[in-house]
Amino acid sequence: MSRTLPKFIPRSAPVILLILTLAAAVAFAAVGHLVARFNANQQARGHKLYEQGLADASAGRYDEAIAAFRAALTCDPSNSQYQLSLARALRDSNVPARLDEAESYLTALWQRTPQDGAVNLALARVAAHRGNIDDATRYYHNAMYGVWSSNFDSNRSKARIELIQFLLKEGAPDKAEPELIALAAALPADAAAHLQVARLFAEAHDFNGALTQCREALHLDPKDRAAMACAGQAAFNSGNYATAQHYLQAAVDANPQDANSRRLLETADLVLRANPFRSHISDAERNRRITAAFTQAEKRLDQCAQQTGVDLKAAMPASALVNLHSRWMAVKPDLARLRSAAETDLPDNLMDVVFQIEQQTAAICGPPQGMDEALLLISQKREAASQ
Amino acid sequence: MTSPAAIATPPERPPRPRFTRRLFSRLEGVFHEEVFFLVLSVFIGIFAGLAVVCFRLAIDWTHLALLGPLPQTHSWRLFTVPAIAGLVVAAIVIYMFPGIRGSGVNQTKAALYIFNGVIPFRTAIGKFICAGLAIGSGQSLGPEDPSLQIGASIASALGRWLEISRDKLRLMAPVGAAAGLAAAFNAPISAVLFVIEEVIGRWSAGILGSVVLAAVSSVVVVRGFLGSEPLFRIPVTTFKRPAELIAYVVLGVVGGLASVAFAKSIGFLRPRLKALPRWTQFVQPAVAGLLVGLIGFLGFPQVMGAGYDSMDQAMHGQFAWKILAVLALLKIAATTLSFVSGTPGGMFAPTLFIGAMLGGAVGGIEHIYFPHLTGSTGTYALVGMGVLFAGFLRAPMTSVCMVLEVSGNYEIIVPVIVANTFSYVVSRSLQSMPIFDLLTRQDGLILPSLEQEREETILHVEDAMRPTPAVILSAEDYVDANARRIQDSPDAVFLVRLHPAGWTLVTRGNLQRLDREGKG
Repeated sequence: MSRTLPKFIPRSAPVILLILTLAAAVAFAAVGHLVARFNANQQARGHKLYEQGLADASAGRYDEAIAAFRAALTCDPSNSQYQLSLARALRDSNVPARLDEAESYLTALWQRTPQDGAVNLALARVAAHRGNIDDATRYYHNAMYGVWSSNFDSNRSKARIELIQFLLKEGAPDKAEPELIALAAALPADAAAHLQVARLFAEAHDFNGALTQCREALHLDPKDRAAMACAGQAAFNSGNYATAQHYLQAAVDANPQDANSRRLLETADLVLRANPFRSHISDAERNRRITAAFTQAEKRLDQCAQQTGVDLKAAMPASALVNLHSRWMAVKPDLARLRSAAETDLPDNLMDVVFQIEQQTAAICGPPQGMDEALLLISQKREAASQ
Repeated sequence: MTSPAAIATPPERPPRPRFTRRLFSRLEGVFHEEVFFLVLSVFIGIFAGLAVVCFRLAIDWTHLALLGPLPQTHSWRLFTVPAIAGLVVAAIVIYMFPGIRGSGVNQTKAALYIFNGVIPFRTAIGKFICAGLAIGSGQSLGPEDPSLQIGASIASALGRWLEISRDKLRLMAPVGAAAGLAAAFNAPISAVLFVIEEVIGRWSAGILGSVVLAAVSSVVVVRGFLGSEPLFRIPVTTFKRPAELIAYVVLGVVGGLASVAFAKSIGFLRPRLKALPRWTQFVQPAVAGLLVGLIGFLGFPQVMGAGYDSMDQAMHGQFAWKILAVLALLKIAATTLSFVSGTPGGMFAPTLFIGAMLGGAVGGIEHIYFPHLTGSTGTYALVGMGVLFAGFLRAPMTSVCMVLEVSGNYEIIVPVIVANTFSYVVSRSLQSMPIFDLLTRQDGLILPSLEQEREETILHVEDAMRPTPAVILSAEDYVDANARRIQDSPDAVFLVRLHPAGWTLVTRGNLQRLDREGKG
């Protein structure tokens, strides 16, 4: 290059520029070829590292996966798939400091393709890791309505379920409820899907919604034991003990090993047998149930007093239990007047004492069993109805 | 009567020149020297851009071939590879390319001011091979300064090949330098400013157009081949409360101190290593490579090579502040070792690395004590880059512009300016001579610098003027009165104000003679 222009070339500007243009074209072609070959090698190497990273990530070896994805990205820096995988590995490694970097990769990807469902879902998960409800909800919604390369309906549904689970975990059932309703409306004819949604309804304390989903599952597969148990449990939790009894009985019949359904069934039976406010029972039966409940309440009080070392016969009402005992003793003589038709408020007054005893002993001595549990459930149902 | 033959024969016309010749002659008129130089600048940019693309590929390929794609700590390759590569580089430099040591910025400047713009083309070849091998093998040096010199060398060679005038040939080197640097850093504006601040050393309107054209065309070429992805991802940067500027002031002061430590360590060690017996020059790069490799082997491979990946991670909160601080210190040590050993390579990337780590560390510490600060670690790391650039390379304008150009975020301009100013002031007060001037003087040369020019007191005529103590006579006064007025004056000649306007002179002798003759 340090030599001067050869003599046979005219020393005029156009000629020189022509020569330079030709030289540049040749150099472009040569460098282009070199870059293409290098890039091809790099892409092959990057893909190999990417697959290694995927294997590490699926085995839970996130540090190795992150190193492999990083190396893959040095081979092909603009590869969205590598960036997304690296971001996921950074996020899933459970190192809080790595969330920033994960978010940075994902934000860059999002800026390029804001409609990409996978990127939005990954960003939503980062926001969920941070406990940021607003951002997570926004990105989950973007993921639901975003573009997916395949399985659009399934991915959309998964994103919504994840959002619901996140909202429930964050203690925002009011925000989860509309998502649940939308999810239930778009469910495929699949019993398992209905059961999954039923569980989410139950987690959101919408037991009627859960019962509806369980019934849908049963409608699709009447022999589905899980659906029977699900419907029984949902009905039980919603206070619909007769329905619960029906489904739980079916569940226990179908699967005698189902201890939970059996226990719930027994409790539902007790509730139905002990509830004095149940319709279609005679006055005599009602009075018998009130008397039994009243007696049971005294037993529960005695047990709890023994458990906590409280003397119920103490002169001064120093504790809640003593106070309750005093109240019980005060209304005990009224039991004799139960048969009188004029005493319309008496059943309520007597059961009010019973309910107070059951509720307070549950608070002091822990959850009750058997008849006491049934009485407590009746009291809760009664309270819910009055509200 | 006219003969029929004469009527039939048309009058003789001069032969029409061929189309191409006409076109060329017209173009010849268009391309006078200034225009030709501008067009040539575009070609310089293209060739420099292509060379830088190849240079980057060479570094990446060398790195992959020698160190592998996956960075693994505690691998023996981490210290053997840079050591062996150091031996090879030393041999090549000593036997084949003795003029390619160091970063290349000073050499380009010397070419401009001393060697009439001549940089041998073999310099580009040598720099390409040796810097590529050194950086690719893990020496703690950057590719930007070598790219600058490669661009300058290509431009100089092109100028000589085309036998352009000596005046223009002198300007070719900075034009090529801007193209090379812009291509290496993917930032044309910063490259132009850096070349003006550090290579040309003064603002010159005559060359600015060519420098900008070359820088832009080289960046276009590089982006065409390698994509427009930045060297590192820019974090989300925020600056909300003006009170937070205090935090950036602290960063500026710390950055200034680090810059001084970095510059002083290079300034101290370089002449001492150069003074060692000649045979040690064969092993100095190898020893430096071994020590840098050991740092990597012991758990900090991030300090090896240019370190852009680590800067990227630092800006995205991948490292705790303690690690960032350690990395900054180790990078200062590693770069000092690599540079003073005479290994060809640049200080541009290491400066940014140190700045990013230091910025992240300072930001991390400040966040511990002041958790309400809104600036992320990435923001501090980004500002830190500019801080070291301003403090160490002493290019304050480039440092601000570089951060803005790289980040594309105007929001952080105030923190950047504040932090860079403090860094620059601290650095200047503790180290009077900028690093490139120091290196130049160590090599026995004195070259102009923009910093010196900024500090020179430029006097205009009016600055030199003082109220005159001389007696001024009036043409309307009598001679005896004027003679009395000049009695106490030591001057021999006096100004006389004419009426109504104008000036003249009168000598003491003439005035006294007229007075003696009684003509007053």
